[in-house]
Amino acid sequence: MKTLQYLSDPLLAGLFWPGVLVGLAIAITCAALSWLIVLRRLAFIGQGVSHAAFGGLGLASLIASFGLDFANSTGRFPIVLIFCVLAGALISRMSTKRAVGGGWAVDTAIGIVLVASMAGGAVMLHLSHVVLDAQGTSQSLPQIQWEAILFGSITSVGWGDVAVAAGVMVLILIALFWLRRPMLLWAFDPDAADAVGVSSKRMSLTLIVLISLIVVMAMKLAGVVLVTAFLVLPGSIALQLTQSLNTTRIISMLVAIGAVLGGLIVSFELDWPSGASIVLMLITMHLLASVWGWVRQRRPLVRTS
Amino acid sequence: MSQRPHEHIESATPSAIELSHVSFNYRNAPSRNSSSAVVLDDISLTVPAGERLGVFGPNGAGKSTLLKLMLGIIEPCSGHIRIFDQSPTHARKLGTVGFVPQRLNIVSAFPVTARQIVEMTVACTTKPLKRLPAQTQLYIDELMELVGAGEFAAQPVGTLSGGQLQRVLIARALSNKPNLLLLDEPTVGIDLAGQQQFAQLLNELHRKLKLTIVMVSHDLRAIAAGCDRVACLAGSLHAHTSPDGITPAVLAEVFSHDVASVLGDIHVHAHKAEECHDETCQQEAEPENGS
Repeated sequence: MKTLQYLSDPLLAGLFWPGVLVGLAIAITCAALSWLIVLRRLAFIGQGVSHAAFGGLGLASLIASFGLDFANSTGRFPIVLIFCVLAGALISRMSTKRAVGGGWAVDTAIGIVLVASMAGGAVMLHLSHVVLDAQGTSQSLPQIQWEAILFGSITSVGWGDVAVAAGVMVLILIALFWLRRPMLLWAFDPDAADAVGVSSKRMSLTLIVLISLIVVMAMKLAGVVLVTAFLVLPGSIALQLTQSLNTTRIISMLVAIGAVLGGLIVSFELDWPSGASIVLMLITMHLLASVWGWVRQRRPLVRTS
Repeated sequence: MSQRPHEHIESATPSAIELSHVSFNYRNAPSRNSSSAVVLDDISLTVPAGERLGVFGPNGAGKSTLLKLMLGIIEPCSGHIRIFDQSPTHARKLGTVGFVPQRLNIVSAFPVTARQIVEMTVACTTKPLKRLPAQTQLYIDELMELVGAGEFAAQPVGTLSGGQLQRVLIARALSNKPNLLLLDEPTVGIDLAGQQQFAQLLNELHRKLKLTIVMVSHDLRAIAAGCDRVACLAGSLHAHTSPDGITPAVLAEVFSHDVASVLGDIHVHAHKAEECHDETCQQEAEPENGS
């Protein structure tokens, strides 16, 4: 048994704590966004934005193939980040209701942007090989670690990642606090927001850009599936348990924090994959919340209309 | 918003709303959505302060577009709009206009109470680091009482009936102390008893707060119950009369359909007009969108 040994053992603690802290930062940030995501039906925005990373990677290789090597080293992550945030902005733009009618449903917009950026990424990657072949230097193309980008490993992060995750968390939490009133009005009733000068277009764009930021940051560390879980489940769990806004916010945060800690402990104790353990922890909480709601004879609060 | 030269209309008592030759079309409207094929054509309309105007017309006639123009959310392609002698955007900034949106767009799962809904718009004008002033809080309490929402102020939105939610949305629209209240299809999905209470409430607010009211509806009964005048809208303005002035000829013009039989008794048979208008109006509106 290595029960809780990793908390004190200096070697193991060095592996455990950065992962925990990064996980907590991501979880708290996503939980703060989660209720908005559930109520505005943006559950798949994380998938859309994260798959856009393929497009960003393709673009980075293409730029690098023209001899601009920075694009495949230090420049790669910023290129992917900008690409993903722009993809998020595009989804927002496509799905925003115009003055009357119009606009695609968000899921349609996500579907279109997702496949477009993946296909675009694949073609750009191909073109970068073509360019390098023409130069006779195709051997020098560094291998892209697709897997690491799609399924990050939260237990292999370092202290530098902790600082970045904490920075993004603070940035997003401040933005959400600053905009909490217009954001609430817009989320509840976009028409009324427009009527008092809170632009629904701008609110939607702001929210989606914030989500894109955390998704890009988190998928490198935690993986796409875990990010989606953090974006959707804390909100859906909280909304089953309460009808109060502040309690929703608090429960979301507590659920996310609990899932990170619980999931990682399970992962270390039983040697399970860490991301999957956290997701299963969240799913378990969701089931318990459903049972609790059923026992209390409450109707499910989030319905499909 | 862009500065455009406005016609200055001199008058002793400024009207609440003045529309002169207002036209609007959606040049970039996506063709997949036929409801956006609406064109407003050369609408001139004056609403004196304190009047209650019902804008009546079939679905897709441009009623909501008209409201959006009055709110300054969209700008007319030609013509001018003045709200209490201000541009619509300026009037909106001054809090002159209160807006009650369509109730059915609201997600009932939202974790807010009735009172939090009423607070929402005034809260947006409070600085992020400040609490809502006590004065505002008191005013919101008063408003809740005024619309008869005091007793369910603490209830979550999901537990409110249609009529209760309607009262809450009206209270919210009044929270900026407007002189003009705009309502978009206020009676949709509310039962008969609720509609009666709603008409009473609106009459009471009109009397107490000296409000000018513009209500947009495809329900003649709702308009007849609470309006001084009616404008019939189907792309262009077809009549501008008192509720009693809606004659078979006017309706036939609006719906491009012979609906004389409807008018045996407006109050009872108004729904027939709704039933028959949909196709006829679409047919009328679509050729105009051909541009």
